[in-house]
Amino acid sequence: MIKYLTTIWETVSTMLTGMGVTWRHMLAIRRDNVTLQYPEERWPRPERDIGFDHNKYNVIRSRLHVDIDDCIGCLKCERACPVDCIKIDTVKVPNRGEDIPNIRHKGITSFGTRKAMVVTRFDIDMTECCYCNLCVYPCPEECIYMTGGPNAEKHDIDYEFSEYDRNDLIYRFAKKVSGEDLENATTKPQGVEG
Amino acid sequence: MTVDQLIDWFPISATWPGLTFLLAVLICAVPVFLFIAVYALVVIYGELKISSFMQDKVGPMGQGVGLHAWRWGLLQPIADALKLILKEDIIPAAADKKLFILAPFIVFIGAFIAFSALPFSQTLIIADMNIGVFYILAVSSLGVIGLIMAGWSSNNKWSLYGAMRSAAQIISYEIPVALSIIAVIMLTSTMSMQGIIQYQSGLIWGFLPNWLIFNNPFTFVAFFIFFISGIAECNRTPFDIPEAESELVAGAFTEYSGMRYAFFFLSEYANMFVVAGVAATAFLGGWQSPIPGLFNSPAWGLWWFMSKTMFLIFVMIWFRWTFPRLRVDQLMSVCWKGFTPIALVNIFGVGIWYLTLG
Amino acid sequence: MGVVQGDQMVLNIGPQHPSTHGVLRLKVATDGEIVSDIVPVIGYLHRCFEKHCENSTYEQVIPFTDRCDYIASMNNNFGYVVAMEDLMEIKVPERVEYIRVIMAELNRIASHLLALGVYGLDVGAFTPFLYMFRDRERILDIFELTCGARLLYNYMWVGGVSHDLPVGFVETVYNFLDYFEPKVQEYNDILTYNKIFIERTADVGVLLPEVAISFGVSGPNLRGSGVKWDIRKEEPYSIYERFDFDVPIGQGLVGTTGDCWDRFHVRMLEMIESTKIIRQALKDIPTNGDVHQALPKKIRPPKGSIYRRTESPRGDLGYYIISDGSPQPYRLKMRSPAFTALSVLNEISRGWMLSDVIAVLGSLDIVLGEIDR
Repeated sequence: MIKYLTTIWETVSTMLTGMGVTWRHMLAIRRDNVTLQYPEERWPRPERDIGFDHNKYNVIRSRLHVDIDDCIGCLKCERACPVDCIKIDTVKVPNRGEDIPNIRHKGITSFGTRKAMVVTRFDIDMTECCYCNLCVYPCPEECIYMTGGPNAEKHDIDYEFSEYDRNDLIYRFAKKVSGEDLENATTKPQGVEG
Repeated sequence: MTVDQLIDWFPISATWPGLTFLLAVLICAVPVFLFIAVYALVVIYGELKISSFMQDKVGPMGQGVGLHAWRWGLLQPIADALKLILKEDIIPAAADKKLFILAPFIVFIGAFIAFSALPFSQTLIIADMNIGVFYILAVSSLGVIGLIMAGWSSNNKWSLYGAMRSAAQIISYEIPVALSIIAVIMLTSTMSMQGIIQYQSGLIWGFLPNWLIFNNPFTFVAFFIFFISGIAECNRTPFDIPEAESELVAGAFTEYSGMRYAFFFLSEYANMFVVAGVAATAFLGGWQSPIPGLFNSPAWGLWWFMSKTMFLIFVMIWFRWTFPRLRVDQLMSVCWKGFTPIALVNIFGVGIWYLTLG
Repeated sequence: MGVVQGDQMVLNIGPQHPSTHGVLRLKVATDGEIVSDIVPVIGYLHRCFEKHCENSTYEQVIPFTDRCDYIASMNNNFGYVVAMEDLMEIKVPERVEYIRVIMAELNRIASHLLALGVYGLDVGAFTPFLYMFRDRERILDIFELTCGARLLYNYMWVGGVSHDLPVGFVETVYNFLDYFEPKVQEYNDILTYNKIFIERTADVGVLLPEVAISFGVSGPNLRGSGVKWDIRKEEPYSIYERFDFDVPIGQGLVGTTGDCWDRFHVRMLEMIESTKIIRQALKDIPTNGDVHQALPKKIRPPKGSIYRRTESPRGDLGYYIISDGSPQPYRLKMRSPAFTALSVLNEISRGWMLSDVIAVLGSLDIVLGEIDR
């Protein structure tokens, strides 16, 4: 009988305790509310300064970006990718480090490296990307990064990217040039040799 | 205003009694149906908001223009209802079609016809029967037939489980509900809803309104037994084992979609109102004002009845968003080992109290 | 009159079911509500983790370990890098060790919060789930602050960590701990000591210590059965021997030792122990040091093999790595604690009711990503 009554008492008291918790939360909703009204309010991105350049580095692993003018076509990122979502094709240039205006090729990177390759294809399939950041570190020119990485001020952080067509999620960073232009630019001009 | 008054008021009542009766019933039924629909929208909105607030969220909030949920998400329940109405009505190929289609309506009818005996105010009652409470108890258990039909006809194992559970649960919980009401009837010596409320006028102990919950310790306990068993009859958490979404997917309603599913919901909310309404009538003085003698006009009566009922519905929502769910055998043991013996003791106690002090 | 014979009904719980914690399918033979046999059918989330690893370089394995136990990625990374560093005999800097411990323990809290919250959901309590997710979110914020990712971090590398801690990290974590510690009382109020919850979980699915050991169950499930076994204490890896913390075990406070409630409660206590470890680590962490100092130029371990186990939130997480001297592992085997936990399900929930099977399954805290790999 005593056990019966204590069970009832325990039930009532613990249930009242639980109801007290929800009651307090209900009344203090203005203080406790954690919801953000998404399209109007955005989650504040973490303030962070660390890494290569303390003022520039603000990391959120969002979509990948390539500064193609800085890419020397070393394929290190392609090899680092665990899911093979980066595809790079390159063609040798005739004169290392020279600009080729008609295919908008810049000869020298912002780090001062003289480029030996024209990157004719730099495709990143963001549907396959696993956001592991492994391609970012080997890059000698720091030209591939998750937006929000180094040079963050150039690109807004956006973690909302949706497309109607799956093909639109294959990002093609290489400059669009016709095959003819490319051929003309990358073969050594006739009659100059010697 | 009751059905009888309506019938008397019709000039043709003497010549075509059947026709006038039908007319009168229709005139009463349509507003009740509309009331249930509007009330359900309000309570769904309330449930969304209350649960969100308890969980540190803000709930539905529409801030844009157009088809957003307007300010504070006020249009959210309407959007929900619209969605349910417009959705495809799927009947499984292997289902027993007739029963499958019939089941939601039977469940709804059980809740719907109970409204005819609820005293909304001094004058606003559809039929003040001399067996009002008894009638409500009887018809509100009609829903279980619908639930079993739904579960059986769906030809789905989850539905079958849900149906069997709900059958056991609702039939068991009828008993403590009835027993706790008996304690009330013993004091009031009437089963008419208006009669029970009229018994509760005046003051008790000089300062408390003479509501039955304050009348004596036994009715105080009876109120809680009635209310909690009533929650079990509406299949609300912590007694929602027929639905039990983490175990039985959606229980008896697994195969339902669209409007039929909406009807189950509507009847759940209607059932909540019936339980809260009967609890308010039998224990909290119905339309009686908390300060006897003041604010006692029929209009105020409607206000008091609705506020008491809505408060009890709020408590049901509060329960739902606080507690875990009981297991099916524990549910039975709570009923048979907890509520039923206590309710029996209560009846005895009320009798003694009535003889010695009443 | 013939004898009435009840048939058994076979019920398929899952792969799409609200409370199978992923894509698990349980073939349950039931007699009414009573369950007489449970056959877990796994493999719906099989992603060839081990075969994949054989074709990836050692760095590329780390993102895959993230995706095994996606609730506790840091701990999965931790186990792998500890094994690799032992194989390659790398000594990592002091600061890295502390960072790793802080991250692993934060992730342990996050993982337990998810496990407890979802368990509440399994037994029908919705609100504690959202309270716990609210607090887990803060831990994920800390991770996002540190490495930019919220769920799959790829943070710990062989020989270091990918990023150094951001400025103000220590204060952020202190703030979180100050916020979090009182919240445990709230969870207790609303769920742990709720009578309905106790009724649902106490004495249900009792996992006896002998059974647990013979099935190879580990982690909180084993400790819930009253066995004091924690790799962090028994075989301290990294710098765990420096910290002062208890190993909570189930004592059968409200029922039998080893029931669902004990497993639940052990997780609750472990979160508090983790906060203790984090506080000690934050106090002692060296203020500067290069986290990339010990990174090997090329990860090319010598020929040989190694098995190292660490304490993930779900138990003994083992990595068996065979190296043939090439930059890719010859074989990589992961010993998953959730797999052994699932294997014990039939043993301990036979004869209980359907609702209890869900409760027992929830209390074992399985992650299907780790079981199927």
